[in-house]
Order: sequence, then C-alpha cells, then structure tokens
Amino acid sequence: MSIRLATRVGALELANPVLAASGTFGYGLDLVEFCPPELLGAIVSKGLSPHPRPGNATPRIVETAAGMINAIGLQNIGVDAFCTGPLGELMRRGARVVANVFGENPDAYLEVIARCEREPGVSGYELNVSCPNVTAGGMEFGHDPRQLVSLTRRCREATARPLWVKLSPNAPDLIGTARAAVDGGADGLTLINTVRAMAIDAVRRRPVLARGFGGLSGPAIKPIALRMVFEVHRALPKTPLVGIGGIETGRDAAEFLLAGASAVEVGTAIFRDPGAPLRIVGELAAFCEREGIADVTELIGGLQWP
Amino acid sequence: MIARRDLAVRVDRIEPLSPTCFRLLLSCAEPVEAQPGQFGMLACGGGLDPLLRRAFSIGSIRAAATGTVIELMIKEVGQGSAALRRIAPGTLTRLLAPLGTGFTLESGDTPLVLVAGGIGLPPILFAAEELARRGTRFDLVVGAANSAELIEITRCTAAVAAVGGEFVLCTDDGSRGEGGFVTAALGRRLDAGRRWARLLACGPDPMLKALVRLARAHGLAAELSLEEPMACGVGVCLGCVVELADGRMVSTCTHGPVFDAAALAARWSQ
Repeated sequence: MSIRLATRVGALELANPVLAASGTFGYGLDLVEFCPPELLGAIVSKGLSPHPRPGNATPRIVETAAGMINAIGLQNIGVDAFCTGPLGELMRRGARVVANVFGENPDAYLEVIARCEREPGVSGYELNVSCPNVTAGGMEFGHDPRQLVSLTRRCREATARPLWVKLSPNAPDLIGTARAAVDGGADGLTLINTVRAMAIDAVRRRPVLARGFGGLSGPAIKPIALRMVFEVHRALPKTPLVGIGGIETGRDAAEFLLAGASAVEVGTAIFRDPGAPLRIVGELAAFCEREGIADVTELIGGLQWP
Repeated sequence: MIARRDLAVRVDRIEPLSPTCFRLLLSCAEPVEAQPGQFGMLACGGGLDPLLRRAFSIGSIRAAATGTVIELMIKEVGQGSAALRRIAPGTLTRLLAPLGTGFTLESGDTPLVLVAGGIGLPPILFAAEELARRGTRFDLVVGAANSAELIEITRCTAAVAAVGGEFVLCTDDGSRGEGGFVTAALGRRLDAGRRWARLLACGPDPMLKALVRLARAHGLAAELSLEEPMACGVGVCLGCVVELADGRMVSTCTHGPVFDAAALAARWSQ
C-alpha cells in the first residue's frame, strides 16, 4: 500500500508531516549526510535575530532523566548571514524552510521578517515567543496575551506568508495565549517550546547550568506536550497546530497528529540520532500501513475522547 | 577530512584498566579511519535514560579481517559510563565517528612533546603510536593521581622507545615516577633548556590551563584536546561552545576538540 504523507499547516503544503525543530538542526545543512533537508516536510531554522548573538555562558546543557535542559540563549549567526549563506543551498536542494524569528523587542521581530521577505526560499515564519533562556524578548511576549496579540498583528501586517507562533508551556494561560496569537493573525501554532526547569548539583550546592534555569526537552515532556496540543485543538479546532515535545518515533508522531497536530517537529531526538527526522518519516508511514491508513491526514485530530 | 558516519558497532570486549577506567573494544563491518584527537559519540544503550550519547576520544583504530576495531578508554564518572561498564559483550550499538579535529602530527627537526593527565590519555596514546609508526621523534609525559590510575604504561613505553624519546611518568601522590603534576615535570625540562616543536595535550582543565601558561612562557606552541558537555557531537546543539581569542563562540565538537592554544580566549591561560 502506498501511503499518502502530504499534509498542510494552513496554506503551507508539506510533503510529509515531519519537520526538524528550531535549534536542533542548525541552519538546515549541518547534518545533510544523515538527514537531507529536502526529504523532510520542512526545516525550521535556528532562531534568527537581526544581528548575531553569542548566546549564554556555559555550562548550557545538562542531561536529566529521559531529557535534557538547555540554556543556549539563542546563539545564532543573524538573519542576514542565514539568508546569504545556507538559504541558497537549501533552495537549490528544494528544502522547505520556515524561519524561526526572535527579537528582543517587536521591532527586532519585524526586522528579521523584513530581511526574509526578500528571499523566495523562506516559505513561512515561526515566531519564537517562548524561549525561556533570554533576558529580553522571547517568553515575555508569549506569556502576556495583550503583548502577544499586538506582536503577532504587527508581524502579520509585515508578511503574506504563513505565520506560526510557537507557544510556551510555561504561560499561565495556555488557551488565552493561543487565542491571542490567532486573534493577532497567526495561521498556525507550534506547541510546545521547552518547559522551564533546573538541575542542581547537591555536592556543590549550585545549579548545574550557568544561568540557573533552562528549558527541559526530550521524551520527559512528551505527555505534557500531547495534553497541550489536545487542549488547544479542542479550544481552537480550526487552527492548524504543529506538535513538538519529545518525539522519538513514528508512533510518537502519530500520537501528536491524533491529538490535533497537522504536522510535528522533531528536536532533541536529533541530538542522539542525527537521522531521526528522516527515520520518523519512515516509521510514520510504516505505522499508517500497519493500521490500514492510506492518508496520514486521517490521523489529524482523530483522538477518540473517553 | 574523513567522512563522519553513524556506525553500527558490536561490543567485542570490556577490560578493566584501573580501579576507575576500562577499555571498550568495538568492531564494525565497514572500513573506518580516524586521526589521533578525533572522537566518537557512543550510544550507551537502547533506552531513554541515559538519553544522550557520550563523547569519547578514540584510543586506537585498526583494520581487522572483519572490518575495523575501535578502541575506547573510559573512566566511570556518571550514568552513561556506568551503563557502558556493565554492557554485555556482543551488544550492538552505534558510534558516530570520526568526529572533530585531530592533532597536528607534522614536526620538523625538533621533536614533539605529548602530555596526558588521567583519562586524557586515549588521544595522546593514539598520537604516540601513530608518531612511532611514522618514525617522528617525540617525548611523552603521562600523569595520574596515583600508580593504580596509570594506564597503558607498556604501550606508552613501547611507542616512545620506537623513536628514542623520553617517557616521563608522574603521580600526584608520588607513588610512582616523578612526584607531582605533569606541568612540574615539563617545566623542569623546559627550564633545563629542552625544546620541542609543539606540545600536544589532553587532560583535566586545570592541567591544560597550567600547560598553556608554561608553554606561553617558553614560547612553545600548544594544541589542546578539550572536553565540554556535549549533547549531539555534530555541531547543532551548541552546548559545547568555547570562546576563541577573537570573541567567536565555536562548538568544541566541530571546531575542536583539538584547538591551537593561541586561538583560545584568554581564560585558557589565566
């Protein structure tokens, strides 16, 4: 049986529902020998800011039970270096590229979008309003529905391309922030970003990470992510969702589609298997075949609630 | 550059090397090559805990009738290395290798000096055996906390003897060889007028920093193999960054682990 894997997130058509998540796949070309970016639904770039950022002090990462905590701090080469560098090769390969956008203030988000608007190789945007590891920007927009609706609206006015907002699991009101993003004009929502967390060295009596706090990712957060995708899907059934959080296998991806996601992003799994996104595409197809599902979109929102 | 691959490997043998260190011999069906200083990311088991692979410098690599045998020397320091110590011979796992940069082994008329501290030995031993094979002159300084933690002394001795170099053993507690740190042993020789083309070193950060200060004071070029917490080993997690003298933050896994000491930020000589 040939399985149809194509899906769409709003207006953005994807060859399959598996994307490489921001911050785990470099700028799309770092792992080509393990995972050619053109074979994925899309790649989401490392968070791009108007200018290069050095990121936080080290240690920035620590492994925890079935997960890891990071506080990278959005180290990146800046939007211009991305557009004049890797983007050309990504286009030549036929990879679909979603630019993850970050700014310390609303104008900075707009600056990144304006630069990308000049590039036909950027298919859409994912606004990062949920990074727990920076002092300015990031989570401050994602936690306050009033600020979020205003930021999303300004970004919406700056582009006709698909616009997603990546939501924080740390926001006090998940549905409220989801609605704010949609009210501001978002075409889709990505959820979830990392869960604010910490690790402690009991002997040194100090946090392990230089910043103290970081964001937890990996299989440890999958149940939280599934619940949040499901809740947002139930509250906003017409809004396309991109599910992310601890996806390691094709079956994990199927669970997110059932919860209501139209596509998924694979992140931390890439760190232990650089070919993980491509492997998951194959596993998802095999899952569909085993379950007699001809079209992967049949799974979307197909959860039977008790 | 040798292409990195995610190799299917079989654990052939596990052997104790010291109270805290052990050797893992891995075989894979494919031909694989690596340079001294390069490393691999080894999956510690099939489960989710520990989640991440562990980075290990390659101790040796050789072609065998069945493909390639890769030697790792590992110190048990945490969950991943503890899981590997218990791994059953015959277990199939994966090794991403070869990764990162190697040491510069070329030398003019002046010999090289190699310095290893503790479990920093594997890449230095790999370099020593390669230099011996090439007939390149070098001296070797190996240190450990005590005599029980000195590993692979026979191989070190043989490699140095093959090119007529000096082999200096040091223990912090003086239980074998010269008492005190490797830096003191190297410093005494530098003060006595010994000269080398380059210092190649691997070991704990304080040792490396002391070596950089010493090398700088004597105008000796140095390459260091650094160890940083690392999730991916292939340049995408940005967890293992170090700061360079020009201010750039670069990943240890792709720009290193072997760095020219002169390229590192000032904190490496303070």
